[in-house]
Amino acid sequence: MVYYAPKQVPVHQARSPRYDRLTPADCARLHDASLAILERTGVRLHDDEAVERLHGAGARVGDEGRVFVPGSLVEWALSVAPRSVTLHRRGGEPAITLEGDNAWFGPGSDCLHVLDHRTGQRRAATLADARDGLTLVDALPNMGFGMSMFLPSDVDPAMADRHQMAIMLERTTKPLVVVTYDVDAMRDAIEMAEAVAGGADALRERPTIALYINVTRGLVHNGDSLRKLLILAERGLPALWIPVTSGGTTGPVTMAGNVALNNAGVLVGIVLAQLVREGTPVVVPGFGGDALDLRTMVDPYAEPDHRGMVPSLAHHYGLPMFSLAGGSDSKTVDQQAATEAALTMLVDALAGGHLIHDSGYLESGLTGSLVQLAICDEIAAWIRAAIGPVEISDETLALDLIDRLGPDGSFLETDHTIAHYRERWYPLLIDRLSHSAWQARGATTLAERAAARVDRILADHRPQPLPEDATRAIAEILERAAGTPRSAPQP
Amino acid sequence: MGDEIFAAMRQSVIDGDAAAAAALAESALADGVPPLDAIEQGFVPGLSYVGEQFGLGELFLPDMMLAARAMQKAIAILEPEMVRQNATRHVVGRVVIGTVKGDIHEIGKNLVGMMLSTSGFEVHDLGVDVAPDRFVDAAREHNADLIGVSALLTTTMAGQRTVVEALEAAGMRPRVKVIVGGAPASSSWASEIGADGYSEDAIGAVALARKLLGAETASA
Repeated sequence: MVYYAPKQVPVHQARSPRYDRLTPADCARLHDASLAILERTGVRLHDDEAVERLHGAGARVGDEGRVFVPGSLVEWALSVAPRSVTLHRRGGEPAITLEGDNAWFGPGSDCLHVLDHRTGQRRAATLADARDGLTLVDALPNMGFGMSMFLPSDVDPAMADRHQMAIMLERTTKPLVVVTYDVDAMRDAIEMAEAVAGGADALRERPTIALYINVTRGLVHNGDSLRKLLILAERGLPALWIPVTSGGTTGPVTMAGNVALNNAGVLVGIVLAQLVREGTPVVVPGFGGDALDLRTMVDPYAEPDHRGMVPSLAHHYGLPMFSLAGGSDSKTVDQQAATEAALTMLVDALAGGHLIHDSGYLESGLTGSLVQLAICDEIAAWIRAAIGPVEISDETLALDLIDRLGPDGSFLETDHTIAHYRERWYPLLIDRLSHSAWQARGATTLAERAAARVDRILADHRPQPLPEDATRAIAEILERAAGTPRSAPQP
Repeated sequence: MGDEIFAAMRQSVIDGDAAAAAALAESALADGVPPLDAIEQGFVPGLSYVGEQFGLGELFLPDMMLAARAMQKAIAILEPEMVRQNATRHVVGRVVIGTVKGDIHEIGKNLVGMMLSTSGFEVHDLGVDVAPDRFVDAAREHNADLIGVSALLTTTMAGQRTVVEALEAAGMRPRVKVIVGGAPASSSWASEIGADGYSEDAIGAVALARKLLGAETASA
């Protein structure tokens, strides 16, 4: 057996034990259901090489790319897939590890619109918005990774993803989750990342990026997604294999069936990747089970029913996961937006959701907001404090101090209080002033304070610039791509 | 007497009660009620009401589907007599819909198709990954008044422009209208490519289709 697993230094998060929505028996039953789906109903793969690889490994193949994967193949793949992925900062230091009960937050990608806090206008997003967004991500202490945030409308659509990649690399040193629309753009994005990391080996051994593959549906895998998976597996780069199933339309409206179906598609991705390169890192979905809102026909981002289900399942497999929280269905930065962001982020953090994206999303993912992102950062800090481990020790029990001061004593001036009071969380945006103090300071709302913070960061924060040779290499890749005639898109 | 049975027909559709609708259709036939009247004064008003309520966010999509199913049951029973009487149902318009070449997303398109067909349009759904000439051929074959083109990706939306151009080249514009949909599309995109309109969702698509084909707005 050949294992490929670069030796990585994991980053551990100190926290209290996680919450599980599902029991081990629940997870086992869902897993068995997924295997049953694979053996009985199969999955349709729109790529000949993917079909061939599975066929060669023992899968039965039906008409038009319909493949039936045996349970034994799945069990093997699960036994060799890596249980941990560490993503690194620019420069190669380990930044976040997708493992255990860790939970890291970050924004989302590709919002078509921005809710511009300066004008109050909802307008088409631009390159400038993407730059601002990534600058903000770089500065916000509780965002663990970056994503493109906005889909720029002011560039050639065929080049938009490459520009997003350049901006992400330029504006933040944090690890990145990368979305590209086709295989060529993915190759270019990887090449850019390699230029910054110092080569293909450096990027594989200390990956700074994970590539997000949006698979059409649980049991229908589009050609572009499969080709990307095969390439990433071959290179040993972290692949986020993310089929989605919408209850009531592309899957059962009942959550168990929905999750079992989508999970079947996830398992196929794991199998394929391990067939290409045993031990190559695959990140599975940490979200799913949601249904289309059958009144509004909108795919909701903050539906409560399914929360925590898929993280439980991913923990059951012991695999690194990509979760979704911090997004709202509200059209504006209001109480609904804050409520939905906070609730979803809290549940995913409790559940140990690893890589949790979509902070700052409004309007069910169609509109992004810098102000909402700043609020999410504050929520993340609150959550971090709420799930941190509690130290119960001689020092923190302070029994001698309690006895010394006696029943009536004051703790305020003691060395103990002075030594430890800063261990409590002190908010940046959340307000705890007395009424008169709050009024004196402008009687502000959370959104107003968050907007002020955004403006301050955008005015003052200077992301660490890229070295010249990396900047040049990225520019060359963009130029080359712009000059290349493109063939018709493949599904 | 006529009004009572029409009211009952309307209600059977609103209730999504296919059995009741079927029974009322049989009744109408037995009593010599003209089948076209039964449809247009009895059952269709029920479907219009449901469509309206759904548009207002009061009813759910499955309510619409059940109503449509009840309606279809009734029509199936009335059809033979309609054929015998040479009566044809008034169709608001003939529509061809599909997702562009290179794109296999279809849920939104399917919803639009469903809403249009329950609103009285004749809908021909070409499916996904549809080449421009297939849109043109289908438009010709079905004598379409309106083409609906869907694209979910910024990389495939250019295909919507190609369909407009293909219809132009085939001499079918401006008679045949084109509407576009999908997350990356917009009103300005529709203008830019010479399409006749854009709707953000399926409910809006019906209103847009009615407007473009000069149909009156629905009333319960």
